Amino acid sequence: MPETTFLDANELVLNMGPQHPSTHGVLRVILKLDGEKIRGTECVIGYLHRGVEKIGENRTYQMFAPYVDRMDYVAAVSNGLGYCLAVEKLLNTEAPPRAQVVRVILTELNRIASHLLWLGTHALDIGAITPLFYVMREREEILNIFEAYCGARLTTHAFRCGGLQYEVYDGMEQQAKRFCKAFLPRVDEYEELLSENRIWKERLINVGILTGDECKQYGVTGPVLRAAGVKWDIRKALPYSGYEKYDFEIPTRQNGDTYDRYMVRIQEMRQSVRIVEQAVEDIPSGPIMAKVGKIVKPPVGEAYVSIEAPKGELGYFIVSDGSTQPYRLRVRPPSFINLQALERMSRGALVADVVAIIGTIDIVLGEIDR
Amino acid sequence: MADENQPDQTAGAPEGDAQQPKTTPPAETPPAAAPATPAAEGAKPPAVKKPAPAAKPAAAAHGEKKPAAKKPAVMETTPWESDLTKLLAERFGGAITEFSSYVGQNFLVAAPDSVVAIVEFLREEADFDYLVDVTAVDYPQRPERFDVVYVLYSFARNERIRVKTRIKEDYAPHTVTGVHPTANWLEREVYDMFGIRFAEHPDMKRILLPDEWEGYPLRKDYSIINMDNRWVKDNLGIDSGQ
Amino acid sequence: MRKLLKTVFLVDLIQGLWVTLRNQHPKHIYTEQYPAQRPKIAERYRGAPRLNIHPVSGETLCIACNLCALACPENLIVVTSERNEQTRRKELTTFIYDTSRCMFCGLCEDACPVDALELTQDFELASYTRDGAIWDRQMLEEGPKPTRYRY
Repeated sequence: MPETTFLDANELVLNMGPQHPSTHGVLRVILKLDGEKIRGTECVIGYLHRGVEKIGENRTYQMFAPYVDRMDYVAAVSNGLGYCLAVEKLLNTEAPPRAQVVRVILTELNRIASHLLWLGTHALDIGAITPLFYVMREREEILNIFEAYCGARLTTHAFRCGGLQYEVYDGMEQQAKRFCKAFLPRVDEYEELLSENRIWKERLINVGILTGDECKQYGVTGPVLRAAGVKWDIRKALPYSGYEKYDFEIPTRQNGDTYDRYMVRIQEMRQSVRIVEQAVEDIPSGPIMAKVGKIVKPPVGEAYVSIEAPKGELGYFIVSDGSTQPYRLRVRPPSFINLQALERMSRGALVADVVAIIGTIDIVLGEIDR
Repeated sequence: MADENQPDQTAGAPEGDAQQPKTTPPAETPPAAAPATPAAEGAKPPAVKKPAPAAKPAAAAHGEKKPAAKKPAVMETTPWESDLTKLLAERFGGAITEFSSYVGQNFLVAAPDSVVAIVEFLREEADFDYLVDVTAVDYPQRPERFDVVYVLYSFARNERIRVKTRIKEDYAPHTVTGVHPTANWLEREVYDMFGIRFAEHPDMKRILLPDEWEGYPLRKDYSIINMDNRWVKDNLGIDSGQ
Repeated sequence: MRKLLKTVFLVDLIQGLWVTLRNQHPKHIYTEQYPAQRPKIAERYRGAPRLNIHPVSGETLCIACNLCALACPENLIVVTSERNEQTRRKELTTFIYDTSRCMFCGLCEDACPVDALELTQDFELASYTRDGAIWDRQMLEEGPKPTRYRY
């Protein structure tokens, strides 16, 4: 029996990452290849594991708030909102109306920032460098608002359990309005650059298809789910923080391929601008902090609260034993669960498509590994 | 110029102070309100705890597994009743020991061996087609050491429920990957963090931690400091100062 | 036919290139020439910590209440105090702040009842040694002195 040579072997194992520019961090994907075709993928994660859930058990409720910013560091404000809502649920209280509106403004701006960064890096993966520079410029404006509001650009720690720490600064409304006004033509500009571009379309259309049913099976949420035609958004389905007051649409597409996810996110940015414009118009006056006291001590109980983060459903499951520290704090990270569908999406695709598919899920490794 | 600079520097602080009131009064108000609230808070926990023993017999009636000695206060749940609970009670009978609701969130407590059947029933008959999360909670003092929690959501009903089960330390619950493929990584994470092995899981291995890791970090008896000390000892050959 | 012409004349690509060209105008320059050009820092920026002193007398405002150390999630603040027998007041002796572990969350600043501890707009915290990141009371009162480059 002749020796099996390299050429005879019909399965080639290729390691992609952990240090690979298009894995957006330290994700290692083991690809099993048949020529250019993907036969199977296996994700190796955990390189960025910091034990956030264990840290949570060893910190008081307020002390843990800055840590959640460090999970999905691209959308730190959303993380903070989810955490604060979960603690408020346990305390059975609600943030005052003024705080809720400010929260909505900041989270929606954060959604835009997150989608912008996704757009830039995703386009970079595909080979279009130009959008990255433009999206960074617009993102800068949003980060400036964050900086002026709470003093930090990325890991904001903007919200506190029970409301807000910082009052709206002078001129925040105007700055947000100016941004919204200037931003919409910019989105058109991105679309001009990409939407009709033939290389962009060739690379994205019919790549990484995930149907609505498959999305539900794999628990995939966020823009990936909506691109597959499922009109579901927690902001509409189970409104929190006063989202029911705003008039906006849930953009959906039917094919569930990479191009549709791109379109959904572009549309979502426009919708976020709509929400910000409405919210900025009337910020109610009043207190910004509910009466929760200096020491947060929820009664014994447990609650699962989730919000629509830019990447999908971000949930917090907190078990309280009546002390000042959570007994158990579980984070349901959207990227972690969405990444699981990579195996399904990339089956039968080409190696180059894997890059597009990883990009389109919009993962942040800080959140996957926690 | 130098004179100009000097007062400017000293004035820098008052100016900062002068500007701060703009930002700090809201920051100042909670502390101002705080001295009142801790007092109220100090009075509150007993007030909360008092009704708890009263509520305990009621809670113990359907979930007598909670040892009262360990927990001074019990979760003040209200019974959850709906068409769905009737359906489930009819179908599973004694396998479901508790239908409760806390802060408006419904959950049920089921026997460990019937969880897969319940989750499957919920998916097939009640449209709970989205498994949101699988996680566990460790109670080392309890005879059934772990709570395994399944969070389910139904797109059609727009409703979220939790299925909880209490298992012993060496018990291997059956995987739900057959019903919801999402559970694959989630159960691996539970295994990774708590050491709960899921029977017949397709790929039961660690996910976030390296394969050679010892111990299960989210168990309550897992000590971070000991781990740290050991690492320092093994790798640096000195005693850790912690 | 239209579609064919569009494809032949690369309309989609030219459209994209036109966007790029439009943005070539010098008024669209957004990059900051950092060390030469100082960035504008927001007033509320949470940067280097500072222990405020009284502007006239130069005495520390800190009352050594230890609330910042208790509020800190990373336990990186160490406050020691001594009881002054004459005034019967606690007086600050040392204040150590480990900026290498700090995540600038601002909880210490919020906890301070007298606005003594404050996170300032200084953001240049690099130092050549690890010990340089651990700031003592003197350093905290004076603030960091980053190297200023001249061009």
